[in-house]
Amino acid sequence: MKPTEVDWQQLQTIIDEHRGDQWGLIPLLQAVQEHFGYVPPETIEPIAEAMNMVPSQVQGVITFYAGFALKPKGKYVLKLCRGTACHVKGSRSILRLMQRELDLKEGETSPDYQFTLETVACLGACFLAPAMMVNQTYFGKLAPTKVNSILDEYKKEKKEKEK
Amino acid sequence: METIALTIDGKKISCPSGTSILEAADQYGIKIPHLCYHPDLKPFGACRMCLVEDEKTGRLMAACVTPAAPDMVIQTATARIIKHRRNIARLMIAEHPESCIVCSKGNRCRLRQVSAQLGLGETNLYHLPNFKPLEQANPFIIRDLSKCILCGKCIRADHELVVVGAIDYNQRGFKSRPATAHEVGLERSNCTFCGTCVSMCPTGALSAKTSSYVGSPERESNSICGFCGVGCTLAVGSANEKVIEVNPAHLAQSINGATLCVLGHFAHDFLNSEDRLISPLVRNNENGKEDELVPMAWNDALDLVVQRLIEIKNENGPQSIAFLGSSKCTTEENYLFQKIARAAIGTNNVDNGGYTSGQFLTRVFDEKTDGGWRVNPLRNIEKAEVILVFGADPNHSVPVVSYYLKRAALQGTPIIVVDPKQTELVKFASFWIRPKLHTDLELINALAALLHEKQRYDSAYIDKYTEGFSIFRYSLTSLDLERACQVTGIDRQCLMDIVEAMNGKKIAFVVGHGILQQKWAMHSLGAIFNLSLLTGSLGSEKGGVYVLARENNQIGAMDMGNVPHLLPGRQALDNDAARKRWQKNWRVKLSPDPGLNVVRMIEAAEKGNLKAMYIMGENPLRCLPQPQRVQKALAKLDFMVVQDILNSETTQMADVVLPGAAFPEKHGSFTNLEGRIQSFTPVVTPPGNAKPDWEILDLLIAKIQQSEAYETLEKIRMEIRKYIPAYAQLNGQKPGWIAQTSQKALFHNPNADGLITFYPVVRAAEKSEDADYPFSAIIGSLRYHLGSGTRTNASQRIHGFDLFGEIEISPEDGAKLGMADGDCVKVISQFGTVQRAITLKKEIHPGEIFVPMAVNSNDAMNLIELTNLDDPDSPGWKTVRVRLEKA
Ligand code: SF4
Ligand code: SF4
Ligand code: SF4
Ligand code: FES
Ligand code: FES
Repeated sequence: MKPTEVDWQQLQTIIDEHRGDQWGLIPLLQAVQEHFGYVPPETIEPIAEAMNMVPSQVQGVITFYAGFALKPKGKYVLKLCRGTACHVKGSRSILRLMQRELDLKEGETSPDYQFTLETVACLGACFLAPAMMVNQTYFGKLAPTKVNSILDEYKKEKKEKEK
Repeated sequence: METIALTIDGKKISCPSGTSILEAADQYGIKIPHLCYHPDLKPFGACRMCLVEDEKTGRLMAACVTPAAPDMVIQTATARIIKHRRNIARLMIAEHPESCIVCSKGNRCRLRQVSAQLGLGETNLYHLPNFKPLEQANPFIIRDLSKCILCGKCIRADHELVVVGAIDYNQRGFKSRPATAHEVGLERSNCTFCGTCVSMCPTGALSAKTSSYVGSPERESNSICGFCGVGCTLAVGSANEKVIEVNPAHLAQSINGATLCVLGHFAHDFLNSEDRLISPLVRNNENGKEDELVPMAWNDALDLVVQRLIEIKNENGPQSIAFLGSSKCTTEENYLFQKIARAAIGTNNVDNGGYTSGQFLTRVFDEKTDGGWRVNPLRNIEKAEVILVFGADPNHSVPVVSYYLKRAALQGTPIIVVDPKQTELVKFASFWIRPKLHTDLELINALAALLHEKQRYDSAYIDKYTEGFSIFRYSLTSLDLERACQVTGIDRQCLMDIVEAMNGKKIAFVVGHGILQQKWAMHSLGAIFNLSLLTGSLGSEKGGVYVLARENNQIGAMDMGNVPHLLPGRQALDNDAARKRWQKNWRVKLSPDPGLNVVRMIEAAEKGNLKAMYIMGENPLRCLPQPQRVQKALAKLDFMVVQDILNSETTQMADVVLPGAAFPEKHGSFTNLEGRIQSFTPVVTPPGNAKPDWEILDLLIAKIQQSEAYETLEKIRMEIRKYIPAYAQLNGQKPGWIAQTSQKALFHNPNADGLITFYPVVRAAEKSEDADYPFSAIIGSLRYHLGSGTRTNASQRIHGFDLFGEIEISPEDGAKLGMADGDCVKVISQFGTVQRAITLKKEIHPGEIFVPMAVNSNDAMNLIELTNLDDPDSPGWKTVRVRLEKA
């Protein structure tokens, strides 16, 4: 999802649905993220105003939860597990491989907004270690060849679209 | 409240239920180490340094967040606890940079203190300092967040005490830090630089920025802030006879608690300015030489002053001399000052700078209540049921008052703001009404009429404490509400909503300069007074009238009779009995002739009727409207003495300049806007040969009257206590209050039975708009300057803040004029012009502009006409019609 000009009208509609709700901040942020793909920083002030909070508080909530992002993410978000079980099974070298293949560091998004590379502490799929997720899909028992073929799949998908 | 008994470290103690273990222990002298706890902040439990052990269960818990429970048996320093505390401290230090030796917090760092108590040396941990860039783009605060231990005190102070919300936690885990929204520098956030967070921070993460290395204070002693009328208590740190640091003193019952504002906290560096006057100066008129001020010995300079004043008095009579005293000087100094004028010289031409903010108009309340309204502890604002704010922007003028109001709003007290500008308070308000300019009087009268019509007034109170209600209500019924709605631009429904919100409530009325300096100020104050009676608020603990005082001792100056129409103790000069009393007190004959206020002084000088002026601690060339006119008038004087602390536009014109002392350099007392009398002692000595102002005045009065000098401040205080019953508590020791001496039944004086009358309902005349000047300029202040900015402009920090005082224009008008942020505009009134950059602000109403004071030598004064604020026809000093041209 590329960064977009914020559609203020749209934003207002979303905000109005949650205005004044008690404990409404997180649902509102989810709705904003749902719509824009991330929480554009310039929405912090209007959100704060509607929720009767100060902007620094709203930002604090956004940056506290890994689920919210202030920057747009790639179409495919790759979450590689760096939890204990996966670490023991070699997820560190998987990470290096992925960084090389995608030319991305942890937390970065590719300039074409196709891929975002992230790490997490445990995906809750330790029996599949080393594991990763691409958007909502799990991949387990990763090995370099398997990782390469997964990445190729997603890269191919992109090229096909471009044709 | 229920009391509970428990045992701490073998001591049997009791405390009210709900007390935390930490506070319960503290009351019995058992100190539990802590880092994130602060008595004024909500319990937080972030640092775990306050761990204690429950002997019965063996549980460890944080003492600051655990309420004491009946029969608990607590240990606060077992080997097990110490081990845990040491580990916590070790982890904090492991993450800390190794720059303790050069840290500005020095040995005041709480982390260092706690670690030392725990006997920690090397941490023996893998050192993992968390480097963050140093942030110091602003001239006030340095943020070195690598030293942050995440105690959250700064954030909580910012949210709970000063209610700004500039910072909050950002990120989490190792990356977590306090941050502004969008992580911009403080100067680009809504931070007000009150510095409250700086004083709270237990480590060197937040510190005050100094322009040069000043070292750490050798001594710390308490004082009272000499900027605004709040009168905060300060802990002033000094080294080498210089003030180098100020923090809130945090005394029990002080008005400011742990807070301050940018001026009190940071602008004190003006004390060390190169513009300080350090020697008496006398104008040298020798032939062939340039006219210049040259140093002279004290005694010679004072002799010269006395000789010239006596000559002029003998030649032209005492009325040819005028004394302009200072709302910044102490109460004792103000007493002496007017005594010199009235008793030694024989003129009632005395006034003080408080005139410029319309302070003297509060005499309406004095007259109506026999002075009873005057004691108004701000703490009572917490009890108010509704707060009604008229023309006041305390966030900028008296910041600590705004903290009280915003905290009340967070507690759920409804706030109603009446202001043309969308002030920062509006965000906290339940209602904001924006009457057209100059229509406050109609608005307030209309509210009174509606309260009456809908029978929403407190008739029991009115019966008991007031008289003349029948006449008053008759004038209310004859008010035309339709017309009022039309004139004010506020519709009836809105007025009705406000009246419903006021119904049956005790109300705190907060009145600012939007009323005091406005056209028809006196009538508007009277109308507000009526509202306070109708709602039964005046004299109640939950209500009252709070008039904001811009400067530290406006109240004291007026109380001491440093105004033309009032003798000390606020007794009217034209009251024969009062005058006789003071004749007896002073053993002199007093002139019954009314004196000149500062505007009349300038007018008299213009006409050549005034020959000499003695100006103490005021800068009329900067604080009065039409400065060029003032300059021409002062140039006509034969003789002008200026006693002040800083070189100024006015000292440059003087024949004799006498260097006085600033508040941390002398003994004295101020009376704040609540009516609290606070004395202070010197922290440092005055610079060079400068002297405390009361000493100068004491020498003078002795020379003029050929009498003995008082020599000690206590003697002056004794005289004040003796002759002014309201100042019985002025003792130089404990803070006191103005005594309640009113003879009105409302103020609970046992023998008082007087009833209070209403202020007449006055209708304002229609005004005509002038097509040549289509805009209204509102002149107002910014929190970084006090008044005309003589002192604050001498502060390097304030100077370094690059405040341009952009003229604020509504985006609508900006579009119409084809102007954008940063464009330069020429503002032209009938009296002068101002040229500045603009900034478009949605807080401004179309057709109106806001011109901040105190920047560019306070050129905003060019726009206004120098009129007598007392005069019913005066357009006031708050707004003026202007036109705008692109420059
Ligand atoms: S900056 Fe200071 S006060 Fe704020 S959280 Fe860090 S250590 Fe605590
Ligand atoms: S200086 Fe005052 S306003 Fe600024 S962050 Fe600190 S507490 Fe908040
Ligand atoms: S200027 Fe006023 S509010 Fe600020 S510190 Fe001084 S007394 Fe307090
Ligand atoms: S450690 Fe990787 S899924 Fe649990
Ligand atoms: S002082 Fe109790 S947890 Fe910090």
